[in-house]
Amino acid sequence: MPAIANQFFTKPESLLLQTVVGVLVHDHRLEVLTFVVEHLDNTTASNIGESQRKVGVPPQKELYRSGLKGIDAESHAAYGTDFVALKLDQQEAVLQHVANGGIQNQEAWTNMAPADFFKRLLHDTVSAYYSHPLVWSDIGYGGPAYPRGYVRVEKGLTDPWEAKANDES
Amino acid sequence: MTSHDHRTITHRPTPVDQRKYADDADVCIVGAGAAGGVLAYELAKAGLRVVVLEAGPFWDPQHDFASDELSMRRLAWQETRLVAGNDPLRLGHNNSGRGIGGGTVHFTGVFLRFHESDFKTKTVDGVGEDWPITYQDLAPYYDKIEREIAVSGPNHFPWGSFQGPYPYPVREPISANAQLFREGCEKLGIESVVAPLAILSAPFDGRPPCINRGFCNQGCMPNAKYSGLIHHIPKAIAEGAEVLSDCMVTEILMAGDRVSGVLFNHNGLTHRQMARVVILAGFVVETPRLLLSSANAQFPQGLANSSGWVGKAIMPHSSHDVYGRLPEEVRLYKGTPVLALTQHFYETERERGFARGYTLSAHGARPVGMAAAIAAEREDGSYLWGKQLRETMLDYNMYARITLVGEVLPHPDNRVTLSGEKDEYGMPIPTVTFSYQENDKQLYKHAIGQMNRIIEAMGGQPEHVVSDTAHLMGGCRMGNDRETSVVNEYGQSHDIPNLFITGASTFVTSSGSNPTNTVMALAARTADKIIEAMKKQDV
Repeated sequence: MPAIANQFFTKPESLLLQTVVGVLVHDHRLEVLTFVVEHLDNTTASNIGESQRKVGVPPQKELYRSGLKGIDAESHAAYGTDFVALKLDQQEAVLQHVANGGIQNQEAWTNMAPADFFKRLLHDTVSAYYSHPLVWSDIGYGGPAYPRGYVRVEKGLTDPWEAKANDES
Repeated sequence: MTSHDHRTITHRPTPVDQRKYADDADVCIVGAGAAGGVLAYELAKAGLRVVVLEAGPFWDPQHDFASDELSMRRLAWQETRLVAGNDPLRLGHNNSGRGIGGGTVHFTGVFLRFHESDFKTKTVDGVGEDWPITYQDLAPYYDKIEREIAVSGPNHFPWGSFQGPYPYPVREPISANAQLFREGCEKLGIESVVAPLAILSAPFDGRPPCINRGFCNQGCMPNAKYSGLIHHIPKAIAEGAEVLSDCMVTEILMAGDRVSGVLFNHNGLTHRQMARVVILAGFVVETPRLLLSSANAQFPQGLANSSGWVGKAIMPHSSHDVYGRLPEEVRLYKGTPVLALTQHFYETERERGFARGYTLSAHGARPVGMAAAIAAEREDGSYLWGKQLRETMLDYNMYARITLVGEVLPHPDNRVTLSGEKDEYGMPIPTVTFSYQENDKQLYKHAIGQMNRIIEAMGGQPEHVVSDTAHLMGGCRMGNDRETSVVNEYGQSHDIPNLFITGASTFVTSSGSNPTNTVMALAARTADKIIEAMKKQDV
């Protein structure tokens, strides 16, 4: 666990969140996961606003805190132990239960629908993950192009500095 | 001074404690977006004392904008709104701006006119409602705005009354995604064009042409794309307008039957701005919210609301996306996001089983936008995550994308109301309720079918259908009947003669076109009316 000064999440929440994020994005590089968790911590701590919140869904702080508890409760209901202690396929199964609402521990989800939390968590996680330059390199996106812009934008053309597929280099 | 130096001059707001017109403005404009900018410039040019109050910051593109999708979400109105209905809307960056320039700072720049039929859907198709104006009333204002901001576009535009040419040359070259889209359309016998854009194809007014950076939705850094921030507001300031940013209007003040000014909050302190005329240009959610929350003993239902229509009949565009995987590289991040479109499906065709129609655009996508959408906003309600998402995104460069701008018909149950929750200013947080109706659903299903066909004609495989909306319109609609509308054809309140509403909130129907050109043309028409009325001492 890297030393991050969290503003909102406790250390155990942060460890759980990092584990969940790793499963959602199917990547376990610490550098990337740390970046995503920091982003989630920043936005959850912030009071700027969440653009929109569905009627009946708790505010972001409560949604995340209570949703993380729900994931651990589901882990205990299904496998008798903490989420972070599960094998990857078990972790995926727990998150699948949350995503489709097929949870076993109903009491942990009285203040919201599991899918409302899952959708928000997935959206926020994926947004932050695909903002990381290491991930840009993985997918062949060259990143910001300012002030040079792009000259060769048409089919089959690339500017000399753009990433090429591995078999073309 | 070189032309580059010229562009880096930033216009800063008037400090709130050094106001020239605090007690005697002719006009106070609430909101500095697409409509507010046009009005500020036109009215200041006519010699009126103009004050603009904008809730958000006065951006400096060179210092405040970055090539970062995540951080540039702050160009949006992020304050929490409650959403409800069967199809709760995504707000924020999806459709609303905050800061000088408003939504024009992060729009794609697609600059279309409405068609003749858009102003009379009831007469032509028996759905929606007729506007109190026709296309011909607005045509001279479309001409004016397009010339003034040097819209680029094709020599011939095949749909609607305006057939081109546009003031500035068509964009060239176009992106691979736009090329492939046009080739696919051609195979199917669907006519397509390079999009008319409020993005420069050649130098204009000290600004350079587009460099295809592709970040239109995150704020244009070279100033090639039009926004109120770099065009109308600086010009309005040069004509003497006072522009106050970070000033949230919290109440409209009344004196008898007329408005006398507004209260606004700046850095936690409340200030007062008096004016002969108040113009609300705060978009589809904030304008009704301010009218409803300014209710008093004389106007218990809210201001300008004797009809009960304030907040009613809001409309987004249905804006589903289809991502298709191609056998060749597309690289969706390159170039202006929208460079090609078709309005082949724009007008009603009865055999399709629904009224009205839509525009389809070849639309670029950046990694964050694409990944978040295909993961969490899928049309079938499923989620894509884990290994499957990772493997899909490894093929990011192989994806093409088409986007819908589909007409959504007005329905009074789709509306803005006040919730019981309060914001940091003590104002009630709005609730935005939206559900698609049957015609809307038939329309977007048809469009998804056509987008799939075009992807296949491109040689690709449609793989991800994303459910989304774009833009917002309505909520303070115009009309001749004061029982069923909020303002007249010029945006003047039926109830309060010196209160005007402008912008997309006065739209009667949504059309199947991107709305910004129509927002700005209507604002220019309202400006002419106000200048004339103030000369005659009519308001």
